[in-house]
Amino acid sequence: MNGKVFALAAVILSSAALAQTKYNPPRTPDGQPDLQGVWTNVTITPLERPANLAGKAFFTPAEARQYEKDTVDRNNADRRDGGAQADLSRAYNDAWYDRGTKVVETLRTSLIIDPPDGHIPRKAGAPAVAQAGFGRPPEGPEDRSLPERCILWPTAGPPMMPSFYNNNYQIVQAPGYVTILVEMIHDARIIPLDNRPHVDAGIRQWMGDPRGHWEGNTLVVETTNFNDKTRFQRAGQNMRLVERFTRTAPDTIMYEFTVDDPSAFTKPWTAQIPMKKTEGPIIEYACNEGNYAMEGMLAGARADEKKAASK
Amino acid sequence: MRNRLAIALGIASLLLAAAPMWAHHAFAAEFDAQKPVKLRGTVVKVEFINPHSWIHMDVKDADGKVTRWMVEGGSPNALFRRGVTKDALPQGTEILVDGYQAKDGSNRANGRDITFADGKKLFVGGSNPDEQPNAK
Repeated sequence: MNGKVFALAAVILSSAALAQTKYNPPRTPDGQPDLQGVWTNVTITPLERPANLAGKAFFTPAEARQYEKDTVDRNNADRRDGGAQADLSRAYNDAWYDRGTKVVETLRTSLIIDPPDGHIPRKAGAPAVAQAGFGRPPEGPEDRSLPERCILWPTAGPPMMPSFYNNNYQIVQAPGYVTILVEMIHDARIIPLDNRPHVDAGIRQWMGDPRGHWEGNTLVVETTNFNDKTRFQRAGQNMRLVERFTRTAPDTIMYEFTVDDPSAFTKPWTAQIPMKKTEGPIIEYACNEGNYAMEGMLAGARADEKKAASK
Repeated sequence: MRNRLAIALGIASLLLAAAPMWAHHAFAAEFDAQKPVKLRGTVVKVEFINPHSWIHMDVKDADGKVTRWMVEGGSPNALFRRGVTKDALPQGTEILVDGYQAKDGSNRANGRDITFADGKKLFVGGSNPDEQPNAK
């Protein structure tokens, strides 16, 4: 076992201990712990600990309420102080979002639980994603971003992170498989549980190649084979991701993930996000069918060209 | 441009404490900041479709000429979860839309604010920390 693998294993073991619970979840007909249902990971707790909370891993309940009030006030502000161009971009005020009003129930001040300082152990000089076409008027859909093209939302992951809205997931289990439907953009992660090996290293997928197994009541999903067109916190196609899903109460799955990519991080790091049971159903996303905005953006680019040519 | 920058910076920019300006797509690519519009008219139909909903409305000008406009709204999933259902905007409802027109001059706009005849706003943010409509 090399040092890196050992470090990752140590992190996983320590975080597993945190998620340990006496709760005995219901079982599916084939005997798996039952994670099925519609869940949300919405929270205003930031991934990394804010600078003014350095050294403080947990809020007191009173501090949590104040943080929630301040954050919601800020998110809900009607911001028209930046001129027309800024106002256009700010058309999305809180009225359009669904980004939550609460910190996580553990009262942690960051989603990151390891390293203990609540910060990503970034490696200097790790490259950001290079997206083709950016910086020029779009010639076609390929020049717009992945979310705009209905391909992948950056926080859909994996790992699955809360975003501004559509923070909902549906888990369905069948013998030998767990499937996680991600509301945003519509992806479904199909996770085999039969210990089959990962696909060939040459096969690269938007959401990677997941393999799952049960460790007691915890579903452990290891994902590799990401492609080189996305980054998660600057981790690239060689990112190794381990996610752990533990149902700790009838209305809670404790979700933890550990990411490792030596090209982006000095060591693996781990975050913990409670997923709370929420009302379904998740309505069909059908992103491309309804994506009138793509036509609008391309028409906008052509209009800009015409305007420039007539000058 | 703001959107491009946000994506180039990756998810880190999503997590800034400041109020974000990022949505499914860049409004600045689609709409023209130099063309603010105020549309008063009646709802013809609402498409609760992803990634964004669209409100179709008839706007009558001073001469009585009626023009059909399309107004871009929020994600239907998010709107539903905030209690905005199709019943919120029945056909014939009079609304005032404050937004920006499409760059290509077509009758499309983004819905900066949507106000009913009695002055109530359609999309009022859930500002009460005691409420978390998503969690059961």
